[in-house]
Amino acid sequence: MTFLHFNRRAHLYLGLGLLPWFLVYGVSSIPFAHSQYFEELDKAKGLPLWKLREERKYRIAVPAEGDLRPVGARIMKDLGLEGSFGTYRQGERQVNVYIHTFLKSTQVKYFVEEGRVTVEERRFRWDHFLTGMHARGGFEQDGWLTKAWGGVVDMVVVGMVWWVVSGLIMWWKLPGKRRWGWVALGLGVGSWVVFMGWL
Amino acid sequence: MYLALVLAPWVLMYGLSTGVMNHRVQLREVYGGPLPAPVFEREAALEIAPAEGASAKEVGGEVLAALGMEGAFNASVRKADGAFVINRLDPIVPRRVTVAPGSGKAVIEKIPWDSRAYLERMHRRRGYQHDYWLEDAWALSVDVFIAAVLLWALSGLWMWWEMKKTRGWGWLALAAGFALFTVFVVTI
Repeated sequence: MTFLHFNRRAHLYLGLGLLPWFLVYGVSSIPFAHSQYFEELDKAKGLPLWKLREERKYRIAVPAEGDLRPVGARIMKDLGLEGSFGTYRQGERQVNVYIHTFLKSTQVKYFVEEGRVTVEERRFRWDHFLTGMHARGGFEQDGWLTKAWGGVVDMVVVGMVWWVVSGLIMWWKLPGKRRWGWVALGLGVGSWVVFMGWL
Repeated sequence: MYLALVLAPWVLMYGLSTGVMNHRVQLREVYGGPLPAPVFEREAALEIAPAEGASAKEVGGEVLAALGMEGAFNASVRKADGAFVINRLDPIVPRRVTVAPGSGKAVIEKIPWDSRAYLERMHRRRGYQHDYWLEDAWALSVDVFIAAVLLWALSGLWMWWEMKKTRGWGWLALAAGFALFTVFVVTI
């Protein structure tokens, strides 16, 4: 197998293997780029985004400052919730835990002074489903599958860089396409420079 | 092919910035800290008289025009002291302009160069909400990129199907990708 043959095959099979991610990143960019349109579309339905599932008395010590993640983990354990999560201080008297899976999002609000907790579930929305997948990454959450998703995101990164490099090599090996290729490449790089200089 | 050559800088930017965002914590160690905070650049005398009840955006536009810094921005009013905080969204050197009420001056800070921050900024830049044609042109380039991604996916499938020799391994790659993707969607 020659290098050029390997280059073509790697370009192809990487593209096929990563096709679901490529499609998700592409399609989900539409609601990201036109979020206002999708918000108005959903608003017209007149349905609440969050639905209260549970409300009860609850108490847990919250540190005045510092990392709230252990508090969030404990709240989730006590309420029997699972998934990737983030814990945020919502003012001085409230701590929110936001739990996200691809199919479901849950929000816990802990009202510190009242000793009360509410659990709300977000209505499924296709645009949120897609943008949720688009935005997911990193290796900070627990669970090997969650970290594996981060690993696949890295593969997508390698894939995108590889497609550019291997695509340039394949183009260069087609002498008949070089002239218009230079024009296209020049147009792309030139407009990028304009954007960087004057945006 | 030609579309890919035109959009090569966008593919590289979106690819590399995705890597940066996927490794925020690890890169903090490599770069020796989080994304840089704005640093003081200069102060400028400012004589503007915003209309009563003017929005932060209107005041922001007036301030930037007075300072000769026109361009895309977002603006807000700081709760603590009522100061107008205007972020001028330059791709290379973004600046923050703060105007305290009645001070007659603007404090201009710039965000030092950081390749992580640059890539993240460009990744997130989108939309037609700004009043400048070049901003709309950028938003259009993002839309063209989205269309191109979908076109590459579909045309790639078609080109693969036309190469009969690659169908066996191609099916395997495609099936493995979709199976793995499905596992992720239902489990995490």
